[in-house]
Formats: sequence, C-alpha cells, structure tokens
Amino acid sequence: MGLDPIGYKPWDGQRTEHGRRFLVVAESILRHKLRAKWFLAMLIIGTFLVHVMPLFILSMMPHKELEAEVMRDQMGGGLYFIFEVILVALVCSDLISEDMRSNSFILYVSRAMGVKGYLLGKWTGAMVTIGLFTLLPPLVLAIAVTATQSGSDYLGSLAVIGQTLIAGIWSAALLIPIGLAVSSLTRKRTYASVGTFMFFFGMMLVSGIFTGLSQDWSLLDPSQVLYQSHTVIYGLELTDSVNKALLGAMAFLLTVPPMALVYYRIMRKEAGK
Amino acid sequence: MGDQDLSKESGAEHTITARDVVVRFGSIVALDNFSIQVPKGIVGLLGPNGAGKSTFIKTVLGLVSFESGEVRISGMDPRTDVMAIRDRVGYMPEHDCLVDTMTGLELVTYFGRLSGMTKEDSIPRSHEVLDFVGLGEERYRPTSTYSTGMKQRVKLAQAIVHDPEILFLDEPTNGMDPLGREEMLELISRIAASNKSILVSSHILQDMEKVCQHVVIINNGRAITQGPMSALLDQGRDRKRIQVRGDHQALLRFAEQLGRSYQVISVSEEFGQMTIVLVNSGPSAALLELAKAHGVQVRSYVPDKLTLEGAFIRSVKEGA
Repeated sequence: MGLDPIGYKPWDGQRTEHGRRFLVVAESILRHKLRAKWFLAMLIIGTFLVHVMPLFILSMMPHKELEAEVMRDQMGGGLYFIFEVILVALVCSDLISEDMRSNSFILYVSRAMGVKGYLLGKWTGAMVTIGLFTLLPPLVLAIAVTATQSGSDYLGSLAVIGQTLIAGIWSAALLIPIGLAVSSLTRKRTYASVGTFMFFFGMMLVSGIFTGLSQDWSLLDPSQVLYQSHTVIYGLELTDSVNKALLGAMAFLLTVPPMALVYYRIMRKEAGK
Repeated sequence: MGDQDLSKESGAEHTITARDVVVRFGSIVALDNFSIQVPKGIVGLLGPNGAGKSTFIKTVLGLVSFESGEVRISGMDPRTDVMAIRDRVGYMPEHDCLVDTMTGLELVTYFGRLSGMTKEDSIPRSHEVLDFVGLGEERYRPTSTYSTGMKQRVKLAQAIVHDPEILFLDEPTNGMDPLGREEMLELISRIAASNKSILVSSHILQDMEKVCQHVVIINNGRAITQGPMSALLDQGRDRKRIQVRGDHQALLRFAEQLGRSYQVISVSEEFGQMTIVLVNSGPSAALLELAKAHGVQVRSYVPDKLTLEGAFIRSVKEGA
C-alpha cells in the first residue's frame, strides 16, 4: 500500500440536522435490499400474484366506485399475508443481527444519532422497503379502480384511497417489530429469517388449535389481527365474534414489546455487559 | 502513592477535562474519582486490561452515564450536549466493526453522512481520506475481503471523515505488520499537526513513546500518572545502572553502603553479579572509589534511561 506524501485536510462543510440522520440509515437499507436478488424475486412474484392480477380484474369489472370492502378483502387475504411475512423475514433478518455480528453498531451509536436514531433508521428502512409491497401496489390498484369507476362519487373513492394508505402503513408496522426483535436475538441472518417466519406460522397453528374452544383464540393468528384491524381502518363493522379489547391488546403486543426488546438488546450490547 | 500530575502548564488549553468522575456497573467501580486533563496533541491513554480506558472513552461519548463528578469536552457537558459532542468526536474502535457487505468507500461515505455530511460532501471527502490513509483501488472491494492492515486504515478513515476536533483511537496499530505500524503512526502524527486532540489507547508502548506528546496512565479506574511525555521520561534523567562482581558478602556490604550515600532504586543479584539502579547526578569517581574500597569489581556503569514501558510498569506497581 504505502502512504502518499499528502497532509491531512480539514473539512469545513455544513452539517445536516441531527433529527434527519436516521433517514441515511433508512435509505441505505432500501438501496441494499433493492440489490438483493431474493427480495426482488419475492417482491415481483408477490406483487404480480397479489396485486397485479386483481388490478386488471377489478378495473375491468363494471363498478360504480371504489369500495372499502373490496380493498379490505384485497389487503386481508391469505396470499397477501403470506407474501408479507416472507418479505418481512427477508428484509428484517440482517438489520440488527449483522450489526450484532460485526460489532458495527458501535460506529452508529458513537455518532450523533444514538440508539433511538439507529433504531428509528432501521425501522423506517424496513417500513419503506416492506411498503413497496403493502402500500405502493394497493395504492396503484385503488387509484386504477377509482379511475375506471362509472359512478360520480369520487370523494368516497378518495376516502377509501386514504384508508388504503393507512392500511398499507399499518400492515408493515404490525409485522416489522417481530422481524426486528427476532433479528436482535441472533447473530445469523438465516436464523433470524427462519425464526421470523416460524413465529408467525407458529402463532397461526396455535390459534388454529384453540379456536375450537373459543373464538377469541382466533386473534392469536397475526393474519386475523391484520384482517380485523383493516376492517376497523376501512370503517367497516367488526363481527360480534371479535373481541375489540383483545384485538387492541394483540395489536399492542405485536408492536410495542418487540421494539422494546430490540431497544433493550442494543442497550445491553452497547454497554458491553 | 497519590495520583501523580506531571503537568506544569496549568494554563494549557485542555479539550477534555474530567473531575472526580465515578462510573459504576452494578457493584463494579469502573471509574473511581477519575480526574484527567487532556491537552491538544497526541495523548497516550495507557493502562492494563480493565483499567477503565474504554469506560472513559464511552463516558466522553455519552454512551455510559456517570454517577458523580464533572466532564467537559470542548466546554460541553456529555449529559446535556451529547449530540454536539459526538459531532466533534471521531472514534476508531479496537475490535472489528466494519460492515462486511459494504465496500471501503461505501462505508466511509455512509458513516460520513451519519456524522452530518451531505451526500455531495461525503463522497469526495471519503475519497480524500481514503487517499490519505493509503487505501488505493481496494476501496472498491467489500471490507470482508480486507487484510487486518486495510481494516485498520478504513477504521481510521471513518473516524476522521467528518473532521472531528477530538479523535479516540483504540489500539490503532493492532495486528499490523511493522511497516503498517510505522505508517499508522505517521498518519496519526499528520492528523495531529492540524491542531487536534488525539487520544490513543494502546498496549504497544514503543509506539506510544514515538508519537505521544502527553501521557495518562490509568489503573483501577484512576488516572495515576499524567503529564507531558518528556516530563515523565525526564524523571529518570540521573538514573544510573552499575554492575559489579565479587564476593557475595562484599557485594552486600557495597550495596548497603551505596544505600546510605545514594538513592538506590533497585538491587538484584544473579550468578555472582549484582546490578544496582541508583540516582547519581554527581561525578562517578566517588562511587568507583567506594567499589574499590569494598573489593568489588565494576563491570559497567551506564545511564539507565527510563522508557515509557519502565515508567508505565513503575506507575502501575506503585499505584496498585
């Protein structure tokens, strides 16, 4: 290698705001994932099967307006959930585990972003990446159906598009914390990936076994939590068999404790204990 | 022995000051009334494993909170101005910490942006610092393919990319070959020439002796010795090492007599030869006369230069 006889040069540029630096992490994740073959393959296949075919069918079928029920069913289907779980498992698998393995996150937290900024960046990156499946195609679908409607109630359709926006964000927000939590528990991305998938699969199995005893057990199934929460987002009536308190509790349990676990794991790692 | 402060220039500009800082991890006291003043230039942070070096660095970075005491970094408090401090600090960790999937260039650019540089600024600046650390075309390869020396260079590059005022280098020459070590020390000297504070923690004391202008020795969570390197080594200015041979009883009597007339630092005897380290600023004639009077043969009488290693071992032993 050898050194060139050059001196150290100072840098006198303007620094960006502290609060915006997490976006650099998010951008890096998106760029990295868009170069990953497996993710791209699953995204394309999933989008085609889950969104593109219904887009043609729903657009060409005679319809007066965009209906909330149609979009709820579109975003609450089994295929939609399976592909989302696969994508969450692929995207989140290395977000924390790789940094744990390589010890690289001392480089993050020693900079002016801290653990919260680091976590926010990782979460945002995962949200944007998963949003390529849960948000963008449903919005395109909703806009296409609105554009081809025969009725004149465009405001009603616009409201459903807005609800679709919220539902798309919520879809990603509901499953990503589990992906990040599993990723923080291991140093191997393969384990994290399989672990995330198995967590959701296991919850579905357990739910299926106990639903015969009481309908409340059905809410242990994350796909049911997603479907029922979409029902709420689209302003539709929940059936009597759905316990609203339990639905809220499950939504909370799938989002807040996993993120708290990730935070705790990172803090422990950072302190070197 | 109390903590030793060799610094005479009380009015010197200090970029880091810590006063009576206490850090605990449960029942373990990591920093125990730790007080330190770090001036500009290259400062060696020395201490045995577990002495508290890393804890001090983490305290300055705001990663570890302290129980009591006061810390100031360029006049700022890490408890309230942690983000502003981190913008002014660069950190090169000891262990492997590079993101394997990134190339050297991507990594330096990425962490430059996380330190507050815009994309437009960070790319040319990353090339500049990678040129500076001597990483050529390798910068376009993933860091997972790098040798230890290349990794150390990239770690240094990511620490300086945002041009910090204060630089923490933890074992910067770790795992490098002799040429690589020389080059790393040269780089550190070049960075220090731009009026920065560089805190270097290392176990390779020869390296420290070459580059550091100031030294802080830490043991059991306390700064036991601190001051300019020259003052530390100057403590051994009048030290002499005398080797004598002779009858065992005669040697003992000679050593006893020397102890009365001079400050004797150490006495050791091996295979009929006695080695005595003493302080003598005067002429050697009296000492040689004394040897002759006791019937011992002087084999050598030479200045005993105090090295950093010697000063370090002495400080740690005395402070223990």
